[in-house]
Amino acid sequence: MCVRVRPLVVTALLLLLACGGVARGEDPGRPRPERHVLGNGVVLIVQEQRASEVVALQLWMRVGGRDEAPDELGLSHYLEHMLFKGTPTRPPGSIDRMVEGVGGQDNAFTSYDFTHFDLLLPAGQAAAGIALLADIAVNASFDQAELDRERLVVLDEVRLTEDDPDRFLARRLSEEAYRPTSYGRPILGTPEQIRALTREQLARYYHKHYVPKNMSLVVVGAVDPGLIRRAADDAFGRLRGPDSPRAPMPPPPDLGGRSVDVPRPEKQAYLGLAFKAPAVADPDAAATDLFTYILGDSPSSRLSVVVRDRLALVSAVEAGYVTRQRGGLVTVTARLEPENLDRAEAAILAEIRRLQQDGVGEAERQRAIITAEANYAFDIETAEGLARDYGEAETNWTLAEELGYLTRLRQTTAAQIQAAARKYFGEYARVRFVPEAGAR
Amino acid sequence: MRRLLPGALAALVLAAPAAAGELPVVRERLDNGVTLLVRANPAAPVVAVSLLVRMGTRWETAADGGLSNFVQAVMVTGTAKRNGGEIAEAITGLGGRLSANGDTDYSEIRGTALARFWRELLGLTAELALEPAFQPDQVQAQRDFLLARVQKRRDNPPTHAFDVFFATLYGTHPYGLPTLGTPESLARIDQAAIVAWYRRFYRPERMVLAVSGQVPAAEVTAEARRLFGGLPRGGTGDDAPLAAPKPAGGRTVVEQASQQTQILVGSLAPRVADRDYAAVKLLGTVLGGGQAGRLFVELRDKQALAYTVAAFFDPLREPGSFLVYMNTAPGNAARAEEALRREIERIRAERVSAPELLRAKAYLLGTFEMDRRTNARQAWYLAFFETLGVGHDFPARYRAAVEAVTAEDLLRVARSYLHPLTTVVLGPPPAR
Repeated sequence: MCVRVRPLVVTALLLLLACGGVARGEDPGRPRPERHVLGNGVVLIVQEQRASEVVALQLWMRVGGRDEAPDELGLSHYLEHMLFKGTPTRPPGSIDRMVEGVGGQDNAFTSYDFTHFDLLLPAGQAAAGIALLADIAVNASFDQAELDRERLVVLDEVRLTEDDPDRFLARRLSEEAYRPTSYGRPILGTPEQIRALTREQLARYYHKHYVPKNMSLVVVGAVDPGLIRRAADDAFGRLRGPDSPRAPMPPPPDLGGRSVDVPRPEKQAYLGLAFKAPAVADPDAAATDLFTYILGDSPSSRLSVVVRDRLALVSAVEAGYVTRQRGGLVTVTARLEPENLDRAEAAILAEIRRLQQDGVGEAERQRAIITAEANYAFDIETAEGLARDYGEAETNWTLAEELGYLTRLRQTTAAQIQAAARKYFGEYARVRFVPEAGAR
Repeated sequence: MRRLLPGALAALVLAAPAAAGELPVVRERLDNGVTLLVRANPAAPVVAVSLLVRMGTRWETAADGGLSNFVQAVMVTGTAKRNGGEIAEAITGLGGRLSANGDTDYSEIRGTALARFWRELLGLTAELALEPAFQPDQVQAQRDFLLARVQKRRDNPPTHAFDVFFATLYGTHPYGLPTLGTPESLARIDQAAIVAWYRRFYRPERMVLAVSGQVPAAEVTAEARRLFGGLPRGGTGDDAPLAAPKPAGGRTVVEQASQQTQILVGSLAPRVADRDYAAVKLLGTVLGGGQAGRLFVELRDKQALAYTVAAFFDPLREPGSFLVYMNTAPGNAARAEEALRREIERIRAERVSAPELLRAKAYLLGTFEMDRRTNARQAWYLAFFETLGVGHDFPARYRAAVEAVTAEDLLRVARSYLHPLTTVVLGPPPAR
């Protein structure tokens, strides 16, 4: 599960998460956030933004699907569901009532590298929101009745994902490409594990990972940074807990020979290819980012122009960059008629080869850079968009690199893009959704 | 994610922002009838354009269903000056996106770009709208894409269930037609039909152009005047009223292979311009607004009967539809449907408490304020309210209307609108 993924455009939005690279300096004209490290290791990032009278408050946790042991699958995601349920001083339902009672919103997201809890509130409620996030970060009650009811909700979520072919393809593809590392495990857990999960198990996992050194609080909105710093000190500064260093991960596996066909009720087929790509903080990330834009981010991208418009082999095709801390993927996904599966795959691969051999044109490179610049400009239209950029950067690489990322992209040459294309696009994992007998 | 709504069904949450935060909007009616709305917003270096035309399924029949959306789909594939590839390259070069689609009461061309390219974006929008090529080969290519999308909507349990629901509720009223059309209607629509439909509706009196972003309002207005002002007048732009739909209620069961069962229960609701509109929006919020709404609390939090529960009531020019939606495990479907009905019965029988009403108002108004912060949403909202005939400044009046709603009003509208109920249940066949 990934932030900012809307069901129908999974890969396109994954691309927006692509950030990394080595910054020479900060992007000119870019507003600067303040970054503080509290005495106990909690990181606070604050930026005043007066675009509207709201504040985005996000608690980013350095824990996610990759931190789960084989008998803990789905616990990170289960915590995502349980934390807003209540604490000893906030009975079940009261958090939602408080937030919505002031016209705000709360939500939470789980990924393999991180989990985050988001509030969007009227700016005057910032201190109350910070106190709430600190409370749920360490004091969650895990009421047994609430926990049992939520089991059914999570099982519904598993089935719901399976019903949506775009989401399910993205998930199956990443599982196929990353197995047997922890990036390749089901982030929601298995139905058996969800049914068997106990309160003790969940509490143990929570207390192990929800410690100050794993926390970043990001605050963006119509607020006074000085007041926010005091509120964060009050609420988060006194939290205590041991370190919880992450277990080392083996390098991502080779992808050759990984192929699976999944029978599905849809009448159209789906094709997913995944290529190994640089990790989020790798110096090659910027070139890969641009490569992905050029390959398949928009109607003028190469795959759309050739495979969809000229060859008419697919109804939709997109490329996306799945950025993870310990190794990324570039995915290409397409929706098509089943009889075109082989020809479409060959055409996609031919287009990638053409990029590897002939490189990219200057106009294409410029368009890709403008696209990246625009993605950033549209992110910062809202307080929560900017907060997400900061939170993910702080959790997965560094805030400084994020702040210089556009500069780094602009300096990336056509030769570097071609070199990245040659370095990374070799063997690939494949997942196909094929209409089951009787569906047609 | 804690909450998930089917993407294609993104609910339009309506309320009004705090009046203090409202940026000024320049409105101008050109001599030929085109309405311009420009909102200068310094927040971020981006711009959004929305061109709405009063053309949509409201004017279609089952035989030509999907025609408005078809026109829009072909429109962005070529103009007198550029082919589809050149258009796509041009918009990517502005750091933007451009797309067009048909809807119920209107059709839209919408675009975004980096703010420094506002003039190019406006020019491209005008070129698409006023000089479309409608090449026959593009008509065929778009037909294939549209047929694939129709199939995708049918394959997807939630979207299929919604289409069945609207068809059942509205009967022969055009609001019952799917916006995308059907395989039969799409097969029938040819290039001549597309050109004729375009000429009938792309008249200046039927157009509203809205721009929001980090732009100089006076210069944008002048440029828009230059681009659209030369269009000759085409008539009054008024539309004959439609006969009101008369749903009989009832329960429809559709079998479709899926992991989850979809349940929709609803009824006809007021027009956006009706006096009861705000009260029914609040009714939807009490029931299905947010995670403190009754359906979420009762059906998901307390009984764990569903992952997704929500109420939908979108603003429409003709009578709208009020519906509550959930999806659930097939084994829970019967209990879930019963629980859903109990909640509807309860809100028709008992007065909503004062704290609950207050929460619903705050949530409704707050969510709308949150939703109107991007320029793309702003441009769309401005043009949308204008197109619906309630004026781009509708939010301020609407806000006052929401704040004035009482618990008695809620009880009254619940009793008058929430019957007869139309129910659609879509899910896997019962296990043998």
